[in-house]
Amino acid sequence: MRGVALALWAVVLRQSSVDGRLDLLLRAAFHPLVSAAGGVLLILAVAQVLAGLRSWGDEPDRASRQDRRLSAATAAIAALVIALPPNPSFADLASQRPADDTASETLSFVLPPAQRSLTDWVRMLRSQPDPQLFDGDPVRISGFVLPKPDGPPQLARLLVRCCLADATPVGLPVRWPAGDSLPRADQWLAIEGRMAVEDRRLVVVPERIQPIPRPARPLEP
Amino acid sequence: MEFNVLTRLNTAWALFQGLLLEALPFLLIGVLIASLARWFSPGGAWLRRLPAHPVAGPLTGAALGFALPACECGNVPVARRLLVGGAPVGTALGFLFAAPVLNPIVIASTWAAFPDQPWLLLARPLGAVLVALGLALLLRLLPEADLLRTDLLEERRLNQPLASVSLLERRAGVIGLSEDAPPSLPSQPAPTWREVLQHGGREFLNLALLLVAGCALAALVQALLPRQWLLAVGSAPTLSVVALMLLSLVLSVCSSVDAFLALGFAAQITPGALLAFLLLGPVIDIKLVGLLGMLFRGKGLLLTAAGAGLLVLLIGQWVNLWRL
Repeated sequence: MRGVALALWAVVLRQSSVDGRLDLLLRAAFHPLVSAAGGVLLILAVAQVLAGLRSWGDEPDRASRQDRRLSAATAAIAALVIALPPNPSFADLASQRPADDTASETLSFVLPPAQRSLTDWVRMLRSQPDPQLFDGDPVRISGFVLPKPDGPPQLARLLVRCCLADATPVGLPVRWPAGDSLPRADQWLAIEGRMAVEDRRLVVVPERIQPIPRPARPLEP
Repeated sequence: MEFNVLTRLNTAWALFQGLLLEALPFLLIGVLIASLARWFSPGGAWLRRLPAHPVAGPLTGAALGFALPACECGNVPVARRLLVGGAPVGTALGFLFAAPVLNPIVIASTWAAFPDQPWLLLARPLGAVLVALGLALLLRLLPEADLLRTDLLEERRLNQPLASVSLLERRAGVIGLSEDAPPSLPSQPAPTWREVLQHGGREFLNLALLLVAGCALAALVQALLPRQWLLAVGSAPTLSVVALMLLSLVLSVCSSVDAFLALGFAAQITPGALLAFLLLGPVIDIKLVGLLGMLFRGKGLLLTAAGAGLLVLLIGQWVNLWRL
């Protein structure tokens, strides 16, 4: 029974490396560690099963009955984790977090405007806060819609240092086309357009807005 | 912007999985090393030759943490072995309280979680040594008989030299036994690989269950607790330290992974509170009370909890004066 429980946990670790779950939950640097731990657990599980086969038929004592309850409980949790993949709302998560704090992270090199990601733009504005410098630059970014309590929704990404638990949002204001209804929270959008200065801050003026599915690697380091 | 309950729960479930998947590999490494240490089982006469000096003893014990890295749950059985083997109390206590932080795995996971806060890499081990030293000195005030459990004390006296224990204290092992059966001498044949494997597997599942509970609580707190509440508490210097100390008591997560949990709150709280969270959890928490009951009598446990709380509060306050 203990072997089965260990094997299920091994499956949790291995499967989440394969089915893209880790891309959604952890920073990429930790993925090999999780995958390797799954391998080690699998070896342990096989060894436990082999050891258990030898003592098959022994009368169970109190300790081993307790042991079985423990194994059953952990196996059930592991099965639940396998059966229910995570489906977080990034907008909900971001609304619970304080504003981003990436001031210490600097850009290592500067890309041409049309190749900058949303995160690159935010970092750029942090190190070079004069919006006039970027007026009229072409923009091609993607992100999820993050409603703001004090204004129209922004297009945002989550920055992650370790796992989803420490995610902090970064967002860019967007001038949504007049007349259209505002996009709903959590919708992923790809936006092409230009930067413009509005109230002395930079906003994205979209020329083309296209709904996209959540990307395979939604988190940014 | 309000999100409905289902969305909230979905987010909490994802947070839970993120924390768990992040922590499980570290838990596995801890269990593997503890199992290896069990294989090369510590024991024998060298235990009695450890220094008994009130300051050097606990420091030696703390340094043992580097040789026997395990989180606090793996530590209690090892500390018990040390006490039964006749090691000086101060040394064993130094090991018990400092080793959960002062070992390579915990320092590595702290670094992995907070690569941008190098002061924490120094402050956490240093704080842990201070707390362990303070607690070891504090618990010296209690006589051994009031501090340690009776069964542990009897086994321990069997392994102490006769000169240091009076005949009246030593109830077994000499002529004139008490009517109780004498506790069998702890004979420690090296465990077979099968025993080590079984023990390791059970330990992993045991700790994984505690980890699941801790991650679930942390995820629920993160997803459901209004952010303003945590911010209001977190930015007040003293209140934030106390709040995070309470949180570390409740969460009861192993020291090898608690740094990852702390990450979730790190942005909203004072640095002193962050350090207090990382220092108090390894010494005492709800999950540990049961385990520490294997060593201490009620009075010893109470003194440990009160002393640890006070020391960590002072360190947290001092760090806030320094960092804020």
